Amino acid sequence: MRLPRLPGWGPIPLAAGPREDRWGYDPDFAESVQPWLDFMYRRWWRVTTTGVQRLPAEGPALIVANHAGVVPWDASMMATGIRRAEGPAYRHPRFLVLDWAFSLPWASVGIRRFGGVPASPHNALALLQEGHRVMVFPEGAKGVGKPYSRRYQLERFGRGGFVELALRAGAPIVPCAVVGSEEIYPKLGELPFVARLTGAPYFPVTPTFPLLGPFGAIPLPSRWRIEFDDPIDLTGLPPDAAEDRAQVFELAEDVRRRIQAKVYANLVEREGAFR
Amino acid sequence: MRRIIITGAANRLGSVLAQDLLADPAVELVAALDTRAPDLPAGDRLVHIDADLRSPDLARALIGLRADALVHTDVLQFPEPGRSARTLHDTNVVGTLGLLAAAEALPELRTLVVRGSAAIYGSEPNAPAFFTEDMARRFVLRTRWQRDVSESEKLVEAFARRRPAVACTTLRFQPILGRTLDTPIMRLLRSPIVPTWLGFDPMVQVVHGDDAVAAMIAALDAGVRGPVNVAARDTISLSRVLRRLGKTSLPLAPGLFGPLLGAGARLGLPRMDEDTARFLRYGRGVDTTRMEQELRFAPVLSTLGTIELVAMAIEEAAA
Repeated sequence: MRLPRLPGWGPIPLAAGPREDRWGYDPDFAESVQPWLDFMYRRWWRVTTTGVQRLPAEGPALIVANHAGVVPWDASMMATGIRRAEGPAYRHPRFLVLDWAFSLPWASVGIRRFGGVPASPHNALALLQEGHRVMVFPEGAKGVGKPYSRRYQLERFGRGGFVELALRAGAPIVPCAVVGSEEIYPKLGELPFVARLTGAPYFPVTPTFPLLGPFGAIPLPSRWRIEFDDPIDLTGLPPDAAEDRAQVFELAEDVRRRIQAKVYANLVEREGAFR
Repeated sequence: MRRIIITGAANRLGSVLAQDLLADPAVELVAALDTRAPDLPAGDRLVHIDADLRSPDLARALIGLRADALVHTDVLQFPEPGRSARTLHDTNVVGTLGLLAAAEALPELRTLVVRGSAAIYGSEPNAPAFFTEDMARRFVLRTRWQRDVSESEKLVEAFARRRPAVACTTLRFQPILGRTLDTPIMRLLRSPIVPTWLGFDPMVQVVHGDDAVAAMIAALDAGVRGPVNVAARDTISLSRVLRRLGKTSLPLAPGLFGPLLGAGARLGLPRMDEDTARFLRYGRGVDTTRMEQELRFAPVLSTLGTIELVAMAIEEAAA
């Protein structure tokens, strides 16, 4: 079964194709949604991506980014940015997604076919050990669900689990700052009772949602900037460093500070959210 | 020379296991322990012991065999007409209990292999893509079958502690498929229309029946202690499975899934148990590193290959 063909754009296959891997990533599906993502990237959000050349060309890498914008579009835009800069050498990054998304119909399948996996350290470690690039958002639901008034202020980076993963897998950490995602759905408040009813981590109220119903789900066309920072090589550390809580925490805090600084720098360079 | 007791030898897997073991000249004796007569060619190396696992005289029936290995395959997954859910619990848990109590009286015993199930991990939306053996009971045990499997594993663990000389292996099988098998998933794959969950397309992982038997034989030799996942290495989407089998899927909205299947069962369609229903919604994958490195066993067939074989068998049966 296939969706109707849009002019210029290919059909999106509803069933998994033969190139699907054991994680459920389906390159045919990823390619079929790419025109949509390219449209969002170029026309809707006018994304500028810098620093893609800093990503290691080979081997695993743990890309750590800030997380924002109620509905997490950031992973797909980061992947699109890398794809457009790298061309044929592009290696599709995998990304960890909030567990709750995998209980949703359609969304769970689409996310998985695009390279998303449930946010479990076991998944991340196995993917890194297979040599994949893995994108993580250590702020998690706290980051995406924060109110508009706290935009661009990074939340706590969990318990620093991502540093442990990088140490265990021997993968470099690439900090990444995303600017623009905070404005796509400015969250003014929440309806906790609706969230409890649906089991969602939060139910957002934005200027357009739920006021305009499904139209409220259309993200605002803010201007985005994505910057990949220099990789942090951890291979010099002893193998038992992953057990050292103090060191893990310090490294995690260091990564957070670097991302925060890059976020501020890119905010200044962007000169206005909707310009 | 090995002397091996097999429980559930009249089951499909048990009887194939018994045949494969008898084909090995190093096996001196196979004792088929089952209340039903096993469908096996008679021979002087095969004895049938007609005893119930729950019977108090079981130890007396087994002690004269001087067995050094025991394979427990008599675990039943799904209720059937004439085999209620309560009987199932009785055979699975109390049967294992009785068998292990009898096994304590066997001084020569060195190896115990128990058929477990990867259902112990459950089928969950937020599960790791590949469960390793230490992740059992990470999620709530939702179904009767899961609780049975978990309880019998605990019994095996307790036995292993009491009898350290016996290497106890529990094989946690992913769903076992094969042309001659009659399991909930095989029934589903044989039926013309397969109900699926609207908006879900889980990753599934299976193991072929022949590989399952080969894994049990490998476990008899390897003497691994503790649980081992047994499955083909790859996982594939349910939609690919159904497309290969040429099945029409019937996507049902989550709220309608249970009621419609209940109504269908009354009309004679195969009844779906809760484990299968959850498996169809969220799937499950297991990590096979321990199987490959400690059990030193690699299945011949991948998940894709197993599906290919099953598809051919179904086409043949239809032709």
